[in-house]
Amino acid sequence: MIIDTEAMAIMQEQVESSAESESEEELLDSDEELQKAFAKGQLQSGTYKEITKKETFINDVSGLEAKLKSISKTDIAWLERLDTTISTAEEIENEEENNVHDDFKRELKFYRQAEQSVKEAIPKLHRLKIPTKRPEDYFAQMVKSDGHMKLVREKLLSKSLATERSEKARKMRELKKMGKKVQVEVLKSRQKDKREMLEQVKKYRKGQQDKLDFLEGDKTTSKSTDARKGKQNPKDIRSNKRREWKNKKFGFGGQKKRSKGNTKDSYNDSRDYSASKNSKAPKKGVSKGPKAKNARPGKSKRQSMKARKK
Amino acid sequence: MVVTKNSKKRKLQGQGQVQSSAATTSATSVKGKDEENSALPSTVQSDNMEPVAKMGRWVNKERVLVFSSRGIGSRERHLMRDLRALMPHSKPDVKMHKSEKLLEINEIAEMKNCNKVLFFESKKNQDLYLWASNSPAGPSVKFLVENVHTMDELKLTGNCLRGSRPVLSFDSSFDELPHFQLLKELFTQIFSTPHNHPKSQPFIDNVYTFSINDNRIWFRNYQIVEETGSLTEIGPRFVLNPFKIFEGSFGGPTLWHNPHYTSPNVYRRAMRKALAQKYAIRHHNKEKNEERKTTLGPTYKKDVTHDVFVTIDSSQID
Repeated sequence: MIIDTEAMAIMQEQVESSAESESEEELLDSDEELQKAFAKGQLQSGTYKEITKKETFINDVSGLEAKLKSISKTDIAWLERLDTTISTAEEIENEEENNVHDDFKRELKFYRQAEQSVKEAIPKLHRLKIPTKRPEDYFAQMVKSDGHMKLVREKLLSKSLATERSEKARKMRELKKMGKKVQVEVLKSRQKDKREMLEQVKKYRKGQQDKLDFLEGDKTTSKSTDARKGKQNPKDIRSNKRREWKNKKFGFGGQKKRSKGNTKDSYNDSRDYSASKNSKAPKKGVSKGPKAKNARPGKSKRQSMKARKK
Repeated sequence: MVVTKNSKKRKLQGQGQVQSSAATTSATSVKGKDEENSALPSTVQSDNMEPVAKMGRWVNKERVLVFSSRGIGSRERHLMRDLRALMPHSKPDVKMHKSEKLLEINEIAEMKNCNKVLFFESKKNQDLYLWASNSPAGPSVKFLVENVHTMDELKLTGNCLRGSRPVLSFDSSFDELPHFQLLKELFTQIFSTPHNHPKSQPFIDNVYTFSINDNRIWFRNYQIVEETGSLTEIGPRFVLNPFKIFEGSFGGPTLWHNPHYTSPNVYRRAMRKALAQKYAIRHHNKEKNEERKTTLGPTYKKDVTHDVFVTIDSSQID
């Protein structure tokens, strides 16, 4: 074990405290003694630190160059090697950040390098009168078998189909969303019409308004009622309070006996439908607890209770 | 003894092949004479171009021994197979037993008439190392092989002739440092198919790309679709992380040692350690935090004039 000399002072203290009985001469300790103390376990952790030997990396430049000289074949033409060296220095300058983990950028770099070397090598080969392109009817064994290439084609096809399908589904989803929006808007407009109608009815009841035009044009906007206003004589619409009261008490001509039953119109009329009354949502401020206690139990429960009594 | 027998056998086989091929050629010539009168010729020539010239002299007798140690995984084996398929000047051999010494590879190469070796060494059934060596004289390089994608993967759509000669493309950063220069020379000698090699094709339709990125060498293989520069990838893909360059073949003094290299064992250990200490570190931090909260006051500097902005109620005045 090698012990750092920097930590010596602390270690000395440690040794002193642990072995006070020993004479002072012994305490002027050397590395050796410290090592002995460590072996005995007198040194506690935290008072020393281990030195890890730093690794030296060999880089024998002259040896490398000599080896390169010995293996390089000067007598062999370029045609035997077909090697090209492509400068990528510009790209490196352009892309300062490391693109190792960016698959797309990295592959693009390799592709460009290959492209560049093709552009360099092919004309050179043509100059040397070496055929580079095989004729259409030159058949030979390929690196990848036909079966494998068929699989590749199938994979590509299925991939394109899948993307097409997903695109279609996405479009449908969007259309659906649009349709929903339209529906919501229609419902809103209906609600609005209804609200307006109810307001007008209220006004009429309170006597603020004495026209009943809004009933005639069902779900008509205020603009259409205005248009009708111009045609009618305002004097004609003046109400006779007495007549109204009499009408209310005795009815106003004609048959009354079937007037109380529901008709198609009355069934479809939702003007006096109150959402708040009919909703199942818990009402504000009203606790459901005690009411539920007193409620009548269900039929099956009642019957079972009856059976128990007997 | 066994070895010598094998080599004899191999020689004999070679002779046999030569004889048989000679026999077949003579047979065809005879046939041609017979069928000169018949309606269809026995061979059909390509319409659009001149008949492919006969192979010239095969001068550069570079042969590469491509094989592996035992315990290699399927993916690695496929990678090796791909390299063999791409290199018509390669020779296979049986897997080498792990107990055999690496120096014996030189003898195997000699037996196989190879002067270059690509040896895939599998360690722990998970790490793949690649030795590239100039067989008897050296140098040799040991790489860690990472990110292997074989040619069988379906996303690589390119294809090329089996045995067509590749164009080698090197990154310019190969010329910058002496060890990369040496690697470049070694790669060109190993991967370039000799001109007029009997098993090679007369056309050139693929490019090998060697590129230095992140202190590693990235290998890609592209098909030349159009000669103006349209490419599709064929595969395989792999990344070589150089570890050491030795002066000899599979041994000798070290010429270069990669300072950026971390062994996969060390890497795995670090990962495991980090994972194991996750709980301990969190626990420790929590305890420390509690301690700090109780012993220390506010941990931020308080401004003396800060009280100016505090609104006082009437109740506080009383």
